[in-house]
Amino acid sequence: MPATAATVSRPIDPREFDAVDFQRDPFPLYRRLRDDHPVFHDRFHNRWILSRYQDIEAAFQDSQSFDRAVYDPNGPYEFGRRHIFGPNILEYGNSPQHRWMRNVVAGQFVGERLDAFLPIIDRIAREVIATFERDCEVELVSQFSSQFPIRVISNMLGLPREDEAMFVGWYQALIAGLGFGGEHLARGLVARNEMWDYIDPLIEQRRRSPGDDLLSRITIAELDGKRLETKEIKGFVALLLAAGGDTTDKAIANMWYHMIYTRPDVFPQVLADPELWGNVFTEMMRYDAVVHAQFRQTTREIPLHGEVIPRGAGVILYLGAGNRDERVFRDPDVFDIHRDDLHMGRENRSGKYKDGKPGHLGFGMGPHFCMGYAMARQEASIACGHLAHAMKNARPKFAAHEGITSPSIDSGGFRSPRELWIEFDVR
Amino acid sequence: MADSVRWLRIDFDKCIKAGECYYNHPELFRRTDSGYPALRIRRAATPAQFREAQEAMEVCPSRAISYEDDSTD
Ligand code: HEM
Ligand code: SF4
Repeated sequence: MPATAATVSRPIDPREFDAVDFQRDPFPLYRRLRDDHPVFHDRFHNRWILSRYQDIEAAFQDSQSFDRAVYDPNGPYEFGRRHIFGPNILEYGNSPQHRWMRNVVAGQFVGERLDAFLPIIDRIAREVIATFERDCEVELVSQFSSQFPIRVISNMLGLPREDEAMFVGWYQALIAGLGFGGEHLARGLVARNEMWDYIDPLIEQRRRSPGDDLLSRITIAELDGKRLETKEIKGFVALLLAAGGDTTDKAIANMWYHMIYTRPDVFPQVLADPELWGNVFTEMMRYDAVVHAQFRQTTREIPLHGEVIPRGAGVILYLGAGNRDERVFRDPDVFDIHRDDLHMGRENRSGKYKDGKPGHLGFGMGPHFCMGYAMARQEASIACGHLAHAMKNARPKFAAHEGITSPSIDSGGFRSPRELWIEFDVR
Repeated sequence: MADSVRWLRIDFDKCIKAGECYYNHPELFRRTDSGYPALRIRRAATPAQFREAQEAMEVCPSRAISYEDDSTD
């Protein structure tokens, strides 16, 4: 969404966060938060909001003070509905359990382990593209991006290929349950239970005779002589669908939206030099981060910008707002894949880089930094490269587009286009 | 070798500030504001410290961490 002209400062009514306008285009409100209310106490929803880059970075790093623990359902504000995944790493705040769990599995998604999976990623991208490459048009979200990462994960896990479609169905129900609540939540829970029943015997089987797939690896991975319990494995698999599937899915759609709608002028450069998909990815993670909000709870009083956030308060870190902070990025509301004030290469968990440039906040930072950062980048680049090759002269099918939006920013808050129709010439 | 001492070293030319050392092994490494690690202890002397140091070497993506045997010290 293009930035609107600078708004006149006025007090923020917390109900603005629930308004459709905010879900469609949160950036004007983000700017008011950054400029006039860097520490905003939203009394209506009983939470505090941080929106400046530096403050969000500091909160991510200081996980002792800003804990990502399970939120007490009887507490002041019920964050998200993450329980849908069952026991998983997101539920552990600063505990040694978090560090342990992370270390058991994190290694699977970087370095040589990841490299070993690249041929699978490549093959799945080409397979999904083959389903529409002779059609001259595609609705990218339903026909590609919501299919691809989930099939990659299903394959990495080593699930039988004939069950892939079933897995995609569970995934869609789970994600809907995460984002919309209500009846969708109920359906999501049913899907999750079905998936768990399905996966139980597979875990047992891997225990008896492990192979080289991801499910085997997380089943038999050992750290300090301990392995993950069955329920933890199932929780992790469910989490993978959302944390690793839905996010990457939406990232790819956001990249294409910008290439064909907002920056058709730079798109030819990317087509000529596919290495630039990496820059498109990075700038997308800044400008239109898929994930806009992360939740924390304070473990002590936090004095900041003349306010004091009390102990035990729920805090929203609007990384979508921090990414547009004009204190850090010049012309933050311009999507520029060549910007020289953003670290363009691979992300670091520390958020610091040798080139001295700031990174985007789109993967979080610090102890809870995204575990799939390297994989998401690879998946997006490989997929976009193949798509660009298959779809000659890719262009929007419709002149107008409602833009990148979010069904409900507080319930997961993933932002992406609902639909993305592309016309192309068959190669 | 249990009573030998190993000096921990960080090669700051190689270090890319990835942070894996200090997030995973806070007993040995500390995060500084620049994002570079600093050593909390200069020498690994206990079996637990050896193990931590070994693991830190393995998680460092740029192989910037090493330790040197120095049993004569
Ligand atoms: C572009 C795609 C992706 C985006 C935008 C994204 C975003 C994020 C963010 C913002 C966090 C931080 C959560 C926090 O601070 O509390 C996170 C954590 C996480 N991500 Fe991703 N992610 C992506 C891809 C992936 C992939 C492919 C995987 C699969 C391996 C993955 C697995 C995880 C896990 C397991 C965590 C929790 C880490 C922890 O708590 O230590 N993500 N992600
Ligand atoms: S893990 Fe290696 S590269 Fe990363 S900060 Fe530590 S020493 Fe540097």
